[in-house]
Amino acid sequence: MKNTQLITSLRYALFGALAVTTSQVHAESVAITNATVYTVAEQGILSQATVVFDDGIITAVYSKDDVPESLSADTMIDAKGRILTPGFIASGNLLGLVEVGAVSATRDGSDKKADITFDASLAFNPKSTLIPYARKGGITSSLVMPHGGENVFTGQSFTVNLSGEFDSVIAQQNAVIVELGSKRKGSRAMSLQTLSNKLEDAQKALAKIEKAKTKKKKSKNTEDKEAKTPSRSEQVMYALLSGEKPLLAYVDRATDILALLKLKEQYQLDLVLVGASDAVLVSDEIAKANVTVMMSAIDNLPSSFDSLHNSLNNVAKLTKAGIKVIISNSGESYNINQLRFDAGIAIANGLAPTSALAAVTANVADSFHLNAGRIVVGKNADLVLWSSDPFEISTKVDFMWINGNAMSLRSRQDVLRQRYTTDSSMPRGYTK
Amino acid sequence: MLKKSLPRNSIISNFTNKVTDKKTAYTLLATSMLSLGLTACLPNEKQDAKVVINKNPYPSTYQALPAQSTLLTNATILTGTGERLNDADILLVNGKVSQVGNDLSADNAKVIDMSGKWITPGIIDVHSHLGVYPNPQVESHSDGNEMTSPNTSEVWSEHSVWPQDPGFEAARAGGITSLQILPGSANLFGGRGVTLRNVPSVTMQGMKFVDAAYGLKMACGENPKRVYGSRKVLPSTRMGNVAGYRSAWLAATEYKREWDKYDADYSAGKNPKAPKRDLELDTLMGVLDGEILIHNHCYKAEEMAVMIDLGNEFNYHSGTFHHAIEAYKIADLLAANGNCAAMWPDWWGFKMEAFDMVEENAAIVDAVKNSCAVVHSDSASTIQRLNQEAAKVMYRANENGFALKEEDAIKWITANAAKSLGINDEVGSLETGKNADVVVWNTNPFSVYAQAEQVFIDGAKVYDRLDDKYQAKSDFLLGQNLDNHINKSATKLITK
Repeated sequence: MKNTQLITSLRYALFGALAVTTSQVHAESVAITNATVYTVAEQGILSQATVVFDDGIITAVYSKDDVPESLSADTMIDAKGRILTPGFIASGNLLGLVEVGAVSATRDGSDKKADITFDASLAFNPKSTLIPYARKGGITSSLVMPHGGENVFTGQSFTVNLSGEFDSVIAQQNAVIVELGSKRKGSRAMSLQTLSNKLEDAQKALAKIEKAKTKKKKSKNTEDKEAKTPSRSEQVMYALLSGEKPLLAYVDRATDILALLKLKEQYQLDLVLVGASDAVLVSDEIAKANVTVMMSAIDNLPSSFDSLHNSLNNVAKLTKAGIKVIISNSGESYNINQLRFDAGIAIANGLAPTSALAAVTANVADSFHLNAGRIVVGKNADLVLWSSDPFEISTKVDFMWINGNAMSLRSRQDVLRQRYTTDSSMPRGYTK
Repeated sequence: MLKKSLPRNSIISNFTNKVTDKKTAYTLLATSMLSLGLTACLPNEKQDAKVVINKNPYPSTYQALPAQSTLLTNATILTGTGERLNDADILLVNGKVSQVGNDLSADNAKVIDMSGKWITPGIIDVHSHLGVYPNPQVESHSDGNEMTSPNTSEVWSEHSVWPQDPGFEAARAGGITSLQILPGSANLFGGRGVTLRNVPSVTMQGMKFVDAAYGLKMACGENPKRVYGSRKVLPSTRMGNVAGYRSAWLAATEYKREWDKYDADYSAGKNPKAPKRDLELDTLMGVLDGEILIHNHCYKAEEMAVMIDLGNEFNYHSGTFHHAIEAYKIADLLAANGNCAAMWPDWWGFKMEAFDMVEENAAIVDAVKNSCAVVHSDSASTIQRLNQEAAKVMYRANENGFALKEEDAIKWITANAAKSLGINDEVGSLETGKNADVVVWNTNPFSVYAQAEQVFIDGAKVYDRLDDKYQAKSDFLLGQNLDNHINKSATKLITK
């Protein structure tokens, strides 16, 4: 194919250093034919379409009439009309950081000393039993969000794919997490003030540095003192101010949301609201500020005084208001495979199926710069072929590819079930 | 509230409560009662008034909501007895199911065409903490776990129920018509559970299921040993758990013997001194008398097997195992002993005892003859979609060699749940003479898109998705987002 060269270079540009350490075998080329392809892109939904990927990257998406006669690939798969979607992208979980919630020695998602520099990706365990189970729900990658420490800044998120391989981490420290809103001890005002002051201080410091730089250039005086190297935390703050890193803000009450929108405007932040129970009360303001909302689709009870407006149709309402919504599982990571059911419940409560799909694919990818989430040329071949409607309980994942590699859909649970449903004259322990 | 969601069953507490050595206390009590028993009086003495324990001091005041005879026609009906009727009708008269079948007719009945809809029995959740762990989840409302002693058989969950928990309304919109409210699982004996009708009411009594047996919540495994072990109180181990149960049942056995002797002596014309009442032992005695049903939080196969033996040791039935993650490993044993197992489809991993989950658990348990597989929620969220919880089990099982149908799976959240609660003579299936608890679904209830459209309890409509008149709202949610402005026309009226 003529643009192979381009794609290859694109891939290396995207993966940079990671590509060097990759242990994955080079994926063969695959053509999936006769699929109903949900591109989550301009092409929309293509029936009887063909998707080709090579070396882990999507190289062609052909609609029914555009399929070349000479199409060839190492593997040809007839989808028989089944639905092909981008792999789903989970978010807001502790995948790979917590194995068993109640076993504290398996919890790496938080640390008392954690601050804005906290990089939990160093603790990510690709061999967690939760990962194969999550794949069964069509999840191919995830934005992992550690809970951090007692600081307003609880640390930074990272992205992973669910290949289960040691090179699963896609991007470290890719967004800063702050926890705002109601507190058991103390006032929410203090959290907002801390955030606001830090931003102000950082902006001032940054201005000083810039000034020093220009001064230095002008005077060309080599004896001018080198500007002090900013600390690690300062560097993160600068990355926030430049919009280089998104700010993930856990927040529910409308007043807190509005305060954040103000900060966004003032400091040009790349803001994502997380939780956002009250977002429906200020949806116009959020839409106007072009801010993405990451929320649960199923939290509908007034679980706190900050979230009295939780509802099953909030995702639909916000989407209708023009807000980009990311559907995220609530809770820990054991059942992130249920993301597709949560999206289905959102559909049952007024969300368009295409919006629901975007809410678990493209919207996440866009916000966190993942080269996934859409079926278009150049994107990672993170794909799922479903037995039927992806959101329906009766449906299962038939095939999954991550970076073009076909993935196993067998988890520890399957092995256990097999052991206890297989007749044997020997004790169960012999059935493996 | 993404960040605050915690794994189910995690016990959140600062453990600041002062430890009371309850075990020593009741052992002493039992000893003193034993000596009282020896002083029984001689025959032919003039009898004092008989001391009788009032077993129903907080009686139900439940009244069915206003109802009219209703004929629902042309629906797909899952009866809860394993049957599926296509294009069928159901007639509700005087709060009861009058007839189920094809081409029914009735005089004076409101006929509603339910073409394309599905009808099931009212959904029953055997494990809920609505009202005792309500929303909003604030300290003031945390009334579900009396974490002050490993044996709190004396507490009754009904005394903690906040009927204004918005979760009741949400559950009703999911087709829940009856539910058991249990105390939490911190203690070996957590206290009594109560079965409620899911109707809006200002009082707990107004919801109470008439004559339903009380439940006694027991807990195996990690929770009790963690809570009390951290306070250096028995139990800190699983063997400590079992020692705790056995000590309690020993005391209860003595207590029952005293009351039985008192009753026998009194009947024989003697004037015995009544044993001293003990609220904790009243509950345990209720179990030994077969009046109170055991509901045992117990995840693991080996622990359930011990609990079955424990029941046999003290001559009571070990009842229903809740959160029975490993029930599939001992499906035969459970069926042989007549235990129900109440299960999630897929909650797992948050504790070691929840690590061996298989999604087909309920299906594997169900496949054994005389089994009683139940799907439960233990969640204010999934109680709203117990139909989907059952659906997950059904479809995952069918992907792995089972051939379950909707008419089979519906039993896990209706008939079998009713059996677990001892209310299966009244509810749980759509059969002539049963209470008319009915859910009308917009589509196959095992779909992710299914929604309960209408819910009937005792023949009365209690919920209608398309009619605001039948959508109750908790006091708590009233007036939370009132419009602060009055419209102009109203201002005109005032200025006049």
